[in-house]
Amino acid sequence: MSHPAAAPHAPDLESLSAWLDGELPAAEEFALAAHLAACPACAARLNELHALATDLRALPQESLGVDLAEIVASRLAARAPRPAAGAPAAMDAMSDISRALAALRKFFPASRPAARWWPLGAGAGAAASLALGVALGSALLAGDADPTPRLAPLAVFDALPPGSLCHGPDACYVKETDK
Amino acid sequence: MAASAEELQDADEAERADGAGPATSAGSDDRALVARTLAGDAPAFAALVRRYQERVFRFVLRLCGTRDEALDLTQETFMKAHQALPGWRPEAQFRTWLFSIAHNATLDVLRRRQLVVFVPLAEDSPDGPLARLPDPGAPPDERCGDRQRIALLDRALRELPAEQREILWLRELEDMSYGEIAATLGIAEGTVKSRLARARVAALAGYRRHTGEDR
Repeated sequence: MSHPAAAPHAPDLESLSAWLDGELPAAEEFALAAHLAACPACAARLNELHALATDLRALPQESLGVDLAEIVASRLAARAPRPAAGAPAAMDAMSDISRALAALRKFFPASRPAARWWPLGAGAGAAASLALGVALGSALLAGDADPTPRLAPLAVFDALPPGSLCHGPDACYVKETDK
Repeated sequence: MAASAEELQDADEAERADGAGPATSAGSDDRALVARTLAGDAPAFAALVRRYQERVFRFVLRLCGTRDEALDLTQETFMKAHQALPGWRPEAQFRTWLFSIAHNATLDVLRRRQLVVFVPLAEDSPDGPLARLPDPGAPPDERCGDRQRIALLDRALRELPAEQREILWLRELEDMSYGEIAATLGIAEGTVKSRLARARVAALAGYRRHTGEDR
């Protein structure tokens, strides 16, 4: 800060503003304080800035009028992750597979060593079939498919009627010629 | 990187070791509430919303100008804050972080409305706003408390570009330091200093224009 006290000068408003906020480094603050004591113009401008700050704090304040905490809480609760829709169906499918395997074991008792592994193979096949069915069914019901109904092309507006080879009345209808 | 509960506790202990006074006790409370929110305590976030909803609303209202829009933006600010909370670092003040979310959300809306006015950067030119500071008028004590004059100042403030309105608000109403303002607005402290000076000069000039003192 170098403000000659005698000569008229433009005040360093950035420094005055920062001085008002207590944001000047100590050395600059001391220099400006000394200058303000000797320069009525800068002191008056500092007073203006100070008055502005006081007036801004006196501005009327609007109130929110509602408790946003409740609204935000309900929106957050609605956004919270839900259990996957396919999970219960998958659990049911696994139960069905277990029941099917239990039924197969009744028909093929474990007393015959040669036949011991055969039900397992059949059960695995049944399980794979059921799992595939569940997977395909879930994919169809998951809503990924485009639900927008497709409109059939309006053939009535085509140049030619459906199935027709006519290119115009001349091609399809015999002209009556005057002989 | 997410802020763990241990990190939040460490930050609180460091603050206590620094001999932080009442000014930072709100920061400690904020950290505690953030830690509880991150642990799944929904009422803790509700407490944070209640603590800041009025201040965020007034800041946003001063920027966008319409009450309904300010209500929506305040609500969106807290929704975004909750979503981004796991990424909040305890070194940052919750208040400045929250206000930066409000600032960005509001500026997005203003950009869509194309109401943001960018002021030229050449503030040091002889014809720039800093050179047009009006002469000092009546002493400050005569102006304070005068309702009509306050209303004129309010009008002058509404006419300022958004970036000047918000920086004045953060300094005078939120009592933020230059560092806090810089963190909130995402600008350098040097820019805070110059922008704030320009905003003050522009507010004074507008005020004088409405009172007819510059004629």
